[in-house]
Amino acid sequence: MEASRLRDLIGHYGTAFAGLLLIGFFLLFAPNFASTMNIINVLKDTSFLAILALGFTLAFVVAELDLSVAEIASLAAVVCGWLVQQQYPPAAAVAAALAVGVALGSLNGFGVTVLRIPSLIMTLGTAAIAKGLAFMITQGVAFVGRWPTGFTGLARGYSFGIPNLVLWMAGATLFAYGLVKWTKTGAHMTATGEADEAARLAGIATARMKRIGLLLAGVMSAIMAVLLAANLSSAAPNMAGDYLLYAIAAVLLGMTMFDPGKPNIPGTVFAALVLKVLGNGLVLLGAPYYVQDIVLGAIIIGSVAFSASAMKKAAFKV
Amino acid sequence: MPRDNPGTTPLLSLRGIGKSYGPVVAVRDVDLDIFPGEVVALCGDNGAGKSSLIKVISGAEDATAGTMHLRGEPVSFASPHDALERGVATIYQDLALAPRLSIAQNVFMGSELTKPVLLPFLRILDKKKMIAESQRYLAQLSAAVTDMTRPVERLSGGQRQAVAISRALRWNAEIIIMDEPTAALGVKESALVLDLIRKLKADGRTVILISHNMRDVVALADRVVIMGAGRKYVDQPLGSLQADDIAHMIMAGNARAA
Repeated sequence: MEASRLRDLIGHYGTAFAGLLLIGFFLLFAPNFASTMNIINVLKDTSFLAILALGFTLAFVVAELDLSVAEIASLAAVVCGWLVQQQYPPAAAVAAALAVGVALGSLNGFGVTVLRIPSLIMTLGTAAIAKGLAFMITQGVAFVGRWPTGFTGLARGYSFGIPNLVLWMAGATLFAYGLVKWTKTGAHMTATGEADEAARLAGIATARMKRIGLLLAGVMSAIMAVLLAANLSSAAPNMAGDYLLYAIAAVLLGMTMFDPGKPNIPGTVFAALVLKVLGNGLVLLGAPYYVQDIVLGAIIIGSVAFSASAMKKAAFKV
Repeated sequence: MPRDNPGTTPLLSLRGIGKSYGPVVAVRDVDLDIFPGEVVALCGDNGAGKSSLIKVISGAEDATAGTMHLRGEPVSFASPHDALERGVATIYQDLALAPRLSIAQNVFMGSELTKPVLLPFLRILDKKKMIAESQRYLAQLSAAVTDMTRPVERLSGGQRQAVAISRALRWNAEIIIMDEPTAALGVKESALVLDLIRKLKADGRTVILISHNMRDVVALADRVVIMGAGRKYVDQPLGSLQADDIAHMIMAGNARAA
């Protein structure tokens, strides 16, 4: 009994504990890591990844893989930046970015549930379309300018002494967590992702749940895009592309903790933090930039292997 | 056909039910009355039409001929969930449970309980109540499980049946259709499931039991209905029938169909 409790504890919190140790290690040994400035930067950096990865998680909760999150974000950022550049009010630019997220998220949902295209394929197609549109709008160059603080402040400002980016991340986390854990819709999404035939027989509108998951992934991508553009005062057609692999790594690493084997909100957010700490710490320790990619790949593979061994079967199928 | 209980009206009544899949006729012209509180065993060899008939009764498929009355009212079910809402629950062979979700989540799947928070239109899941209610249903079935947050995959086959039945109880189902409930179970687990069915009967619920296991049928059924080649050709009280007698009747039906 005691042994099985211990195993449960390690299964639930083992990798989270390892993540804490890693953070502790950098705090002690990486030069300047512990400075307030650096910690705030890591947290800000984490928020982009966390918000994008939360969207990926919500699609994964309904057992759909959304490989278009990063390209949707790039397109939304470009649309947003273009409107800001044209001196439209920031609110209009933000609304347009969100509209991009809603439109492409809905397109994914339509493709997966109505056209019955596997999400892996559907979202790859959407990603390519979004990427093409982003280059079309910008003609391949970035929008850069002296943008109004009403817009840039969304990301660069502080409220109650806390960076706005961190507050956005907290808000997105609370929304996603509350949705999945506290609402009926969340329970239906979870049931759909876990066993869609059983959910359907229980009267759950499974196709609708899948559309909601993919829609929210699109919306989270758009929110991340607005913040990214606001933070950089620029928008480029490939600006979020690199985030896809990181988002996948965050979700998969997150699935090794708290609720092992299942996509879960606290896991995703904590894993996003660990990944960003790792990247930052390695740089501060003087590791060459390519080490990050190698570590990232190892984390993706290792996380899935961990989940599979914890469950004694394949962690998931796509 | 003579009845034990001519005074009562049937809970569920089928007249002239037929089901064809294109040119293939799976069920033809079946009349069947199910009375409140009885356990009816539906037997027959593979391909006899049992499953197709059950699909019609459970709302999984539409009949291609005939009519169905529930509590005297004409009905047709749009989906298994529609049937469930009207008190006809089907416990599927593969159980239709989500293995990694908890007992409470499975019992209340699709019909979660909520409670208001802060604002009147804002409702959140009432997990405490769902756990308490699940506990009550399982206790009613005397299933020896106490932790309602346990994932279903960690339960034994018999306990899983109890969870599936609890979902039917949650809907207060009057008619519970059980498709081969002991087929995948060992001796001890089977005994547990037979007890569950006895409890349902004692509770006044009506059970339609599809089974290949003649011993289960003899142990539980009040009435035996045998199908062959899509037709019903035996419908009689169990009386003194033994397992062998039923097996012979099934084989005789096969011979006649061939």
